[in-house]
Amino acid sequence: MSRRRGGGHAAAVPRSLAGDAWRDLRRSPLFVGSAAIILVLVAMAAVPGLFTNADPRACDLAYSRQPPSGDAWFGYDLQGCDMYARTIYGARASILVGVLTTVVIAVVGSVVGMFAGYHGGRVDALLSRFTDMFFAVPMLLGAIIVLATFPSTIDTPSWQTIGKVVLALGVLGWTTVARLMRSTVIQVKQSDYVQAARGLGAGSRRVLLRHVLPNAVAPVVVYSTIILGVFVVLEATLSFLGIGLQAPVISWGIAISDARAYIRQSPHMLLFPGAFLSVTVLAFIMLGDAVRDAFDPRLR
Amino acid sequence: MRGSTRRGAVVAAAVGLTLVLAACGGDDDGGDDSGSGGDGGSSEGPTGSVSINSTQPENPLIPTTTNEVGGGNIVDAMWTGLVSYDSATGEPGLAVAESIEPNEDFTQFTITIKDGWTFHDGSPVTAQSFVDAWNFGAYGPNAQLNQYFFGPDGANIAGYDAVAGQTDDTGAFVEGSATAETMSGLEVVDESTFTVTLGSPNSLFETIIGYSAFYPMPESFFTDQAAFIEHPVGNGPFEFVEEVPNTSINLTAFADYAGDPKPQVENIEYRVYADLDAAYADVVANQLDILDKIPPVGLAGDVWKTDLEGRSASEPLTTRFTSMTFPLTNTEAWADPNLRKAISLAIDREAVIAAAYGPGNYVPANSWVPPGNDGYVEGTCGEWCEFDATKAQELYAQTAGVQGTLLISSNSDGGHREWVEAACTSIRETLGIDCQGDYDPDFGSFRARVNANEITNPFRTGWVADYPSIQNFLAPLYTSNGSANDGGYSNPQFDELIRQAAGLEGQEALDLYNQAESLLSEDMAIIPLWYDNGQRGWSTNVNEPQFTWKGYVDPLSISVQN
Repeated sequence: MSRRRGGGHAAAVPRSLAGDAWRDLRRSPLFVGSAAIILVLVAMAAVPGLFTNADPRACDLAYSRQPPSGDAWFGYDLQGCDMYARTIYGARASILVGVLTTVVIAVVGSVVGMFAGYHGGRVDALLSRFTDMFFAVPMLLGAIIVLATFPSTIDTPSWQTIGKVVLALGVLGWTTVARLMRSTVIQVKQSDYVQAARGLGAGSRRVLLRHVLPNAVAPVVVYSTIILGVFVVLEATLSFLGIGLQAPVISWGIAISDARAYIRQSPHMLLFPGAFLSVTVLAFIMLGDAVRDAFDPRLR
Repeated sequence: MRGSTRRGAVVAAAVGLTLVLAACGGDDDGGDDSGSGGDGGSSEGPTGSVSINSTQPENPLIPTTTNEVGGGNIVDAMWTGLVSYDSATGEPGLAVAESIEPNEDFTQFTITIKDGWTFHDGSPVTAQSFVDAWNFGAYGPNAQLNQYFFGPDGANIAGYDAVAGQTDDTGAFVEGSATAETMSGLEVVDESTFTVTLGSPNSLFETIIGYSAFYPMPESFFTDQAAFIEHPVGNGPFEFVEEVPNTSINLTAFADYAGDPKPQVENIEYRVYADLDAAYADVVANQLDILDKIPPVGLAGDVWKTDLEGRSASEPLTTRFTSMTFPLTNTEAWADPNLRKAISLAIDREAVIAAAYGPGNYVPANSWVPPGNDGYVEGTCGEWCEFDATKAQELYAQTAGVQGTLLISSNSDGGHREWVEAACTSIRETLGIDCQGDYDPDFGSFRARVNANEITNPFRTGWVADYPSIQNFLAPLYTSNGSANDGGYSNPQFDELIRQAAGLEGQEALDLYNQAESLLSEDMAIIPLWYDNGQRGWSTNVNEPQFTWKGYVDPLSISVQN
């Protein structure tokens, strides 16, 4: 049973899928909650100083592995660094990797999928097989190979290290987006307004950008918000393996890796970065869920 | 109904087959096969299989070119030399040698060997086996890493220079500079006797020749070295079975071993671990039988005492010494002694040990020789090894400082990451400079970089004495041509004192060694860090093993529990 919206008055503004979706999202507690969490995390990543005065790099061996107390809410790590500060500052690298990788795969995957779906025929066959080649490689394995081929040294500036991790994850992550985009574009291609536009003589580029893309982008947006959380976890995995981000960059993955040997003696070293990681992933997945529900025309 | 019966039968058959196959695929790890080798645990012969943690040997298992721990432990299990060191005290005693007679001024020794010793391939151990092996080790073109043991830094056999030839500035052998293949000081008298003439008096000769560089070699080694490397042949209690690179080296008890005591365990697997944390987990779970070093994950909070209750031990090691060395030949960055002293002052050794190993588990060093050795004098390092933040900062301000980030290089597979990070934290907080660890994934590749003189920042140096003498802590490490002199430190006064001490005995020699040691504190080219204590554990499958004076397990003491 569909809800009636807008009552009897004629809409002054043309209604679009995106507009409807936004109205639904605004009212969804799932979306509001996760968006709030994400805003806090983004603030943490952008301006860590807002959340803590402590310097994550000011370490004192005398405090090594001390548990949480009034002075240090999250305790200290092995080197005597304030865990709270390290967790806050660690948000930046972890979230940056997640966001950048998602942007990369969304763009690359969309472009490939769009051309494959729209043009069909030989172009589609070529691009699809190309996508399949990348699909076959397990993402973590590929990331390990890429990072081992371009190792980072002490002198590598942190943006380069982050860039390498983004590349390593992005080079294999775009395939799902491409497939998603392709199938959506094939669907949208059949629709009336596209046929009408082509009938009126619109060129491929105009049709793609003005008609196809806005209507095909919804699944990709949903997927991206969900996969962002996965990329944050993958960054942690790579750092844990020792090939991702390296000291002196601070990230949750590095903190978790450092805490691994002391889980029994000092669980707080693992607990807090791990909890933040979980909350971040959860927030993005919830966001993706809410966005998917809002954009899915079948749920109306 | 019929269809589902048939389908049910097929499913049942598949499940049954799976279960049978799973049961047939037995465990294939060699960890806890205790007692499986021997029937009824008879006391006649060696029984059982044990596993010991190891690192991948850097070089082939040839005694004259094995100078690191991973290969050294295996070589020591596969060979027995003229002299061996008592497992507990390190006192040298005769093994293959029947007698070693010196002349009055310690310049000539007549060595007679016992009958009945054979190599693992059945050939007899003769005087020629030793002489040929020593000549091979000393010969320049062979580029054996233990070559210096035959020369002035070691036994100092006459005729060494002609056989060793010259090396250029990078340490590479100069083609054609070796003019002889045999040392004039070695002479075979008959099948079981040979004489050794030295280039200068050396009262420590009988102690030194217990080191693995002096092991005998079978004829098959000289005729086909490539085959020997595939399957090394020694004369010791255990013989080589096979090697799976980066996984394990397997030995088995040699049935015709002529020495005493005889091996009690039948098979030994030296299992290569890239990460001691995994080895620790294995020994707690009884998947690994002997762990000779408990890593920080077990030491932190002293959990090892509860995890390995009743099957662990700890004792101070008189033979181990950890230090940090500054490279002096491939860069000018560390030429200023004040900079080196400032860095030494900035390392709070107690705090680093407490963070990395747990309070009190290692002992901060204030001298270049561990306590317990004859000639140990406390505090030769003086003020430079005592943590003092103000003094460190003042001294550092007088220097040009460190360009960029201070790197400390080490290998990461021996439980070293933690202390390097902690030392860096200490330096960073005291001097305000950026400090970072630079790691090689395993000991072999780290040592390769050190030996190639590639590292231009301070790096970890750990020394395990080759024989129990203060001379071994000073001569090979800090004399100008010492083969273990990784940093290139050169002090002619130091060299002279060491040379003089070699010709003396007793307290006179020790006094000169102490004088030489004091010179090191003026330069601080090598910073003493701590003396290692040995914490070790074993599984419930073995009886308590004996650990040698070097801190490694004595393979002859291992026996499986019945």
